[in-house]
Amino acid sequence: MLRSLGVRLPGAAGTALKLATAQTKASSSSAMMMMMIRRGAHNSQYDATRLMGGEREVVGYGINGSPIYIDCADFPFPAIRYGEVSPESCALREKEQGDWKKLSIEEKRSLYRHSFCQTYAEFQHFTPEWKLVIGVALWAVAIGILGSIIYSIRLDRLTPETFDEDRRQAQLRRMIHLQVQPITGLSSKWNYETNKWK
Amino acid sequence: MLRITAGKFATAMRGTVGTTASRVAAVRCVHGSEESAEEFDKRYEKYFAREGIDGWEVRKGMNDLLGMDLVPSPKVIESGLRACRRVNDIALAIRWLEGCKDKCGDQKATLYPYLLEKITPTLKELGVPTVEELGYDKPELALKSVFDI
Repeated sequence: MLRSLGVRLPGAAGTALKLATAQTKASSSSAMMMMMIRRGAHNSQYDATRLMGGEREVVGYGINGSPIYIDCADFPFPAIRYGEVSPESCALREKEQGDWKKLSIEEKRSLYRHSFCQTYAEFQHFTPEWKLVIGVALWAVAIGILGSIIYSIRLDRLTPETFDEDRRQAQLRRMIHLQVQPITGLSSKWNYETNKWK
Repeated sequence: MLRITAGKFATAMRGTVGTTASRVAAVRCVHGSEESAEEFDKRYEKYFAREGIDGWEVRKGMNDLLGMDLVPSPKVIESGLRACRRVNDIALAIRWLEGCKDKCGDQKATLYPYLLEKITPTLKELGVPTVEELGYDKPELALKSVFDI
């Protein structure tokens, strides 16, 4: 018992220490989570979407006011920059304040990629997705045709007994006896004196 | 009872939902004036050239323009580029050029060289690279499918 305690205690202390250090490390994110829990429902500045945006700079209104990134030709300037704020990006942004002619083409590219994920050429690139779409559509049509063929084959055996010829004849005879549609319809075409069709 | 209530309701609503002659006239007046292409260009040039414009407004103007069924005229493009310079955002300028190129649609072969020829002085002055100089006229990077992440 003692031995086990002795073994356990340092271990427990170690985990406590680890927990403490982890807490100090994660204090910023847990504070953000607390803010989300406390104020999320009331203050749009701390809503969950905003938190998912992380350290990204909000640079515009966007599509519906939410800080969401999307590459779309109808709406090419999303509400947030694609890249999170980092020391490198800050340094580049500082340099951007000056003359743009002094920026190298690589720096311009990385500034673009900091703001946007994909170029027009990339997000409008033609993908072979149409093959999958047509394939699935043809499969659906094939299954439909197959189903209807099987059904029409089985239909002969599935018809109720009232579809038999003698029963249908009996039905017709009964309708004539009841004088169904005597003015323009069925019974008007039946001669009740001679018991024959007119 | 109903008559009294209905009468009161009508008096209460008159001020809020009733259409008066002056309102109808105002609406018709708006419909009557049609903006010419030059006036439209001037309006957007002025919008982008405004002193103290910020990134939000630049993006708003550009989003609006690129959402319309038109190719922005060279003057408007230049004005937009200068606005990007004022808010110190070269990524915005490059995206704006890309968007204007995209707006040429199936007339890229004829319209885009014309636009480029007109705006080249401004591009040189500001140090904004063209889409071709950056190599962004062809897909550069491919994104991993979201189903593979």
